[in-house]
Amino acid sequence: MTVFTPSFVAPAPAVPYPANVYQPHLVTIEAVRDEAPEVRTLRLKFNDPAVAEKFSFVTGQFGEYSVFGAGEVTFCIASSPTRKGYLECTFRAVGKVTRAMRDLQVGDVMGFRGPYGNRFPIDQWFGKSVLFIAGGIALPPVRSVIWNVLDLRDKFKDVTIVYGARTVADLVYKHELEEWAARKDVKLVTTVDPGGETPDWRGEIGFVPTVVEKLAPPSADTYAVLCGPPIMIKFTLPTLAKLGFPDERVFTTLENRMKCGIGKCGRCNVGPVYVCKDGPVFTAAQLKLLPAEY
Amino acid sequence: MSTTAPITKANLANLVARLVAGGARVVAPVRKTDGLRYREVTDGAEIVLEPRGLPDMSLKAVVFPPTEPLTSYERKGRDVALTAPPLIFQPTVVLGSRPCDAAGLEILDRVMNWDLRDELWFGRRRATTIVSLACAGPADRSCFCTAVGLAPDATRGSDALLVPVNGGFVLEAVTDAGEALVKGNHDLFGVPAQADAEVRQQARQAVAANLSLDPPAVQAWLSAHFEDPLWDPIALRCHGCGACASVCPTCHCFDVVDEPEDLAHGTRRRNWDTCQAAKFTLHASGHNPRADQNVRFRQRVMHKFEIYPERFGQVLCTGCGRCSRTCPGGQDLPEILAAIQARVGGAA
Amino acid sequence: MNELRDLARRLLGDGTVKAVVGYEEGPRGVRPVFVTRPEDADQLIFDPRAVQNLVTFLNPRRPHVKRLGKLAVVVKACDARAAAGLLRESQLRRDEVVLIGVRCGGVVQSPEGPATLNEETVAPRCGTCAQRVPTLADHVVGPELPAPPVQSSEDEMMARLDGRPHAERWDFWMAELERCVRCNACREVCPLCFCERCVQDKSEPQWIESSPHVRGNLAWHLTRALHLAGRCSTCGECTRACPAGIPLNLLNRQAARTVAARFGYVVGDDPGVAAPVGTFRQDDAEEFIR
Repeated sequence: MTVFTPSFVAPAPAVPYPANVYQPHLVTIEAVRDEAPEVRTLRLKFNDPAVAEKFSFVTGQFGEYSVFGAGEVTFCIASSPTRKGYLECTFRAVGKVTRAMRDLQVGDVMGFRGPYGNRFPIDQWFGKSVLFIAGGIALPPVRSVIWNVLDLRDKFKDVTIVYGARTVADLVYKHELEEWAARKDVKLVTTVDPGGETPDWRGEIGFVPTVVEKLAPPSADTYAVLCGPPIMIKFTLPTLAKLGFPDERVFTTLENRMKCGIGKCGRCNVGPVYVCKDGPVFTAAQLKLLPAEY
Repeated sequence: MSTTAPITKANLANLVARLVAGGARVVAPVRKTDGLRYREVTDGAEIVLEPRGLPDMSLKAVVFPPTEPLTSYERKGRDVALTAPPLIFQPTVVLGSRPCDAAGLEILDRVMNWDLRDELWFGRRRATTIVSLACAGPADRSCFCTAVGLAPDATRGSDALLVPVNGGFVLEAVTDAGEALVKGNHDLFGVPAQADAEVRQQARQAVAANLSLDPPAVQAWLSAHFEDPLWDPIALRCHGCGACASVCPTCHCFDVVDEPEDLAHGTRRRNWDTCQAAKFTLHASGHNPRADQNVRFRQRVMHKFEIYPERFGQVLCTGCGRCSRTCPGGQDLPEILAAIQARVGGAA
Repeated sequence: MNELRDLARRLLGDGTVKAVVGYEEGPRGVRPVFVTRPEDADQLIFDPRAVQNLVTFLNPRRPHVKRLGKLAVVVKACDARAAAGLLRESQLRRDEVVLIGVRCGGVVQSPEGPATLNEETVAPRCGTCAQRVPTLADHVVGPELPAPPVQSSEDEMMARLDGRPHAERWDFWMAELERCVRCNACREVCPLCFCERCVQDKSEPQWIESSPHVRGNLAWHLTRALHLAGRCSTCGECTRACPAGIPLNLLNRQAARTVAARFGYVVGDDPGVAAPVGTFRQDDAEEFIR
């Protein structure tokens, strides 16, 4: 461990945090979309019109979402900050709170605390190219950045997206994958694990790191945003290094068990960092400073 | 110049009566069948003000209760109404806390104030006046406050300090709140006088004999030797029980849970938790970044002597020795710190 | 003591075991030690301060201990009862461990000592100890020692509670359990709390509230006592480990008393004797089924 410098600090949010920082805002479910088996997206709208009007966040930030009676759970904000009036989160039902969330319907009330955490510094990438690499259920945090970049498309050079899942059914945001595929200003490569393809599958077949290596995207003037299960990260990082991406230009977002989300409860502390305060966005260079306890 | 004024034991009891009558909660060390503990008192005669030994658990429960509501919810149809707990708390006066316990609260102020202010913590802090009792020396071989920048008569975190003298105590006001306590009750105090500096120096030396430490050097060693096998034999006897965290003045990790009362009402609470528990870092996927006791034990010492100092400039330990006294497995923090210090090279 | 050390040296030297778990002199008194090298065998001691139940280190929920390999564990007769429990419940195979029994003359309440045994200092369980040499042992070391003095404080507390009406007993436990902060020291030191997923950690549904308020604490401690009924060796480690000073062993002793009365069973160190948990007999009392 060496001294860690917190980076990509997010600006103070437009809606200030409440006096009791643990008090959530009330939000109502506006829309529900099933993405994949056990995976669902909720579109949420703040109940308080003043909050709904002013709420702002930056891409990379996360929130603590409440299902009252079940508890809180941590997700990145999966929608882009350029899209006002709502927040989206995408989750897989794996535990107590997420299973309770899956039982909710349009019109039900939840809670939201946030925005917390640091940001993807996309303003530092203006005039450069961006390569997005995501796997499975890890597309949601990257999707926020993708739409943020696409909503400011002319500020960036090339935009490439590599996304893979275990099977075709497990691909999330299927409708948006079609949109991205149809765009001329985006290069999209989708892949499924060997054995995960369907007879009419037109995309690649292979693990994401292998597909990235085969694609060999140029690294010059390019920033990479990478998110996926630990095993995918483990093999994709060296691939990117081999392709010439310096560690400072490879960005990822970490998940760790969290409770308070604001640096008080100690749970997400890994080595010298608190993932909720110093992250969740880290460069590969910063990851290398951390012990592998995440 | 801050006030120093003598007060007899009898008048301390009168002070307690006066504070209670005025609506304050008074917390002090009291001995019952379960040992010496900080308890709420109404009768000043119950208070134990022996300058040797310390209550079994720390003072942190006064501002950081083991369980505390964060918010309450009520369902009305599909809608939900939230009620935040009040952020104004009953005035509390602590009489006879130990300097290590008072300092612990101030050390924790830093994380509780990091970017976002925890107003539940600070609300209770604001409502609490702390009058500590200077120790006459170490409770036993496990005290090491001097090794971490404190002392048996340290005033850090205290509003006033009671120093034992013949016939009673001398109270030294440290903060405005301490001054106010004296001025508001001046009839109970005698003419200003100083306590014996020699006695206090001897107390410090006696504690210092327990452990010599160079905390910045220990911090640097821990930072550079994360994977050191030092932890493996030590962690074998660790039960992963978290008793150490529960008695510690500065351990503050907590859990957040929702507790339904019935289908319509419930409370979200924060509860004391510990990094020593196996499920502290357990992910829903089943992955556990700290899967065995070796790394969990390492985390506790790291957090106290490397991580917190690196972030907040302050060791997360006051040298009270409680973890060593309470550990059912016989772990001894001074022993562990001395072993690290030896690796650093030379005594501090 | 030399007998113990020589034995340890031999077991480590010829590779029978990878570590000997015994007692050593620590900074504050006697504490557990894992001796892995024959030359360190002299660290092993045994005297009336050897309070700890070392069988807890055989609890399968300790992967970092399991990784060491085959262990030898120093056991007093009371500790051997816990080992029998682990064997009886298939948490351990007999050939996976070497049990070094010690002849015991009683232990004091605190491993910090002093080591003098008298009616004040002796642990409550020793006075009524029916068996001071474990039969569940691969080796038995140590001299024959005189019977320990009798300490009746726990019996007195139980007698005091016995005579009282329910409301008073309820109040007693409410006052005690108010101090519990759910640190789980009681569970972690217990050799027989080996559930991979403890009932209080189950969240779907949350059977037992995890918050340290009296209601949650009561649910936890009563459930734990019930889960240990007929299994617990009443070694008292839970009471010793509790930082809040709660006399938890009283709950376990009460449960043990009930099991003895209703099933004629007392926890012993013969793993071959079936326990009421998991055994059904035709003549089991059924009067509560109405």
